Amino acid sequence: MAHNDALVAELEAKSNKLRSHCFTQFCTFEQGHAGGTMSVVDVVTALYLHHIKFDPKDPDWPERDRVVMSKAHCCEAIYAALVELGVYPEETLGTYYCYGSPFQGHADRWSTAGIDYSGGSLGQGLSFAAGMAYAEKLKMILKPPSAEETFLPRYIKRFDPAYRSYCILGDGELHEGQVWEAAMFANKFKLDNLIAIVDYNKWSLDGPTNDVMPIEPLMDKWKAFGWWVTEIDGHDMGQILDALDLSNRMYGDNRPKCIIAHTVKGYGVSHWETRRMHLGRGEEMMKGVREGREKYGDVR
Amino acid sequence: MATYGKHIQIGEPVLPAKGIEKALKAAAQKDPRILPVLEDMGFPGIDWWTENYPERMVEVGIAEQNGAVVAAALAAEGFVPVIYSFLFANIGRALNQVRQSILVDRFNVKFIGREGAWGEVGISHNTIEGVGYSRVLPNLVIMNPSDVVEAEKATEAMLQYHGPVLLRQESSPTPLRVFTDDYPFNIGKAYWVKEGSDATIIATGYMLTEAIAAIDLLEAEGLDVGILNMCTLKPLDVTAIVEASERSGAIVTAENASIIGGLGEGVAAALAENLPAPMVRVGIEDEFSQSGLITPERDDLKIHFGLRAEDLVVSVKECIAKKTRLRCRD
Repeated sequence: MAHNDALVAELEAKSNKLRSHCFTQFCTFEQGHAGGTMSVVDVVTALYLHHIKFDPKDPDWPERDRVVMSKAHCCEAIYAALVELGVYPEETLGTYYCYGSPFQGHADRWSTAGIDYSGGSLGQGLSFAAGMAYAEKLKMILKPPSAEETFLPRYIKRFDPAYRSYCILGDGELHEGQVWEAAMFANKFKLDNLIAIVDYNKWSLDGPTNDVMPIEPLMDKWKAFGWWVTEIDGHDMGQILDALDLSNRMYGDNRPKCIIAHTVKGYGVSHWETRRMHLGRGEEMMKGVREGREKYGDVR
Repeated sequence: MATYGKHIQIGEPVLPAKGIEKALKAAAQKDPRILPVLEDMGFPGIDWWTENYPERMVEVGIAEQNGAVVAAALAAEGFVPVIYSFLFANIGRALNQVRQSILVDRFNVKFIGREGAWGEVGISHNTIEGVGYSRVLPNLVIMNPSDVVEAEKATEAMLQYHGPVLLRQESSPTPLRVFTDDYPFNIGKAYWVKEGSDATIIATGYMLTEAIAAIDLLEAEGLDVGILNMCTLKPLDVTAIVEASERSGAIVTAENASIIGGLGEGVAAALAENLPAPMVRVGIEDEFSQSGLITPERDDLKIHFGLRAEDLVVSVKECIAKKTRLRCRD
């Protein structure tokens, strides 16, 4: 089921372009959540630029796949994807953090077309994604498609929900008890249209995530909650695509899916990688931006 | 005998919960978007729901934080979730979830928050602070119905309104039925239960029952005191508050909750900014509640908190005295 090399190469190139878009945003106020954004960019690229149902011309399309950025401080990566998709022009990147800008400091549903969840207070996104996944099931129960409707393309495939619900979680966020309330909820209601992706970059603000509060054994935890779990290298585009495809194909198995993506905080910029940069400011930030720009090229 | 407003007909004590249940059932039959979200605390008319709409009940268990955010997502997808629980739980326990996931995006989620300030259940459940912490939250409409009729009409209005609403349900003590069936209820609109020139009691929730009892005692002493019923605690009906100040020049607020952050503070701010008048806030001083059996003959907590009609009479007289002192100074 491996994806062809051309697609992987294309998405890898896109992912670098997204990084470059992030650098532009970081420059606005010489500030941004560099570490977590760099670690999640590859996953965001795979989702927005290839995997999900999303129409850049109609970001509110009712049948779009929902994406909840639960680690909403890393919304820079999503903004970069929205620019790459043409939802916003490239100039908008320069308004990141600005008053009245659609690119707010934390993901905000009503400010930004293409954002499904207003986050910032960690640990709540999985509940929201699960709620939307449940709403999809509920709509089918309360208003089953008519015989005529079942001939519409989306119902031709036997197992295809109107939309799927994706949730990107941070690893530090898993300290929040509510994540596990949501995990129980998703299992109870058999939300096989819900896919959680853990950006496991091993570092939270105060130190190594597993020192701050151990979250291991993580696979076993999700399994114990009744989820289907897989582990991948979150910077290997082929593995990301395979895991996403597999979780789609397993629709109908009554299990919510969790993809644990092992990533590196600040990935791709050695200055940030070594410092496990969380929120970068000033010269620390700009040193990384200069390094990144040199490496990935200035798209402007 | 006092002369009351057109839509007042004082009757027997009836639980407001009955009105809420009636309105929810009626609305659910017409509107398939209405979904009860259960937090293992039951739901008004739960047997009826289980029989008629079992697939529409979303049971999240004792997990209010998840419940609030799931409800937000259901609202985002076009449903009208109604979260029923104790106010300390469905909003209090999930305060940040309510703020971040519901109110920021103004999702159409309805809360029914149980318990006023006193009841058998005690300090944990008697949510004296619920109105206070809810009033500071932007985008949230708060209603606190006074009797069974108003409870029914407020529930109806809540379900028709598009946006987050908190409906406070005081379970004990049982208030009198006060309003007639054709009582015109509007969100954000106070109702003149009785007009009066010496002072005005602005009452909310159960305290309307005590205010009505106080009027008779005050009348016996030759005082003409009005009652303004304030069901919507946010947004407050500032026009009516100013009218009360104009009419009587002395305001007593009465609420079955902490006087900090509640009706009293809201009225004080409205008066101070528009037409200042001497006022007294009757409610629970800065303290927690406790257990107390409530029977028609005995209610220790009502005495403890000073929320009887007799206590209101003392406060009204104190307020009128303040007004007189101010006039003398002029």
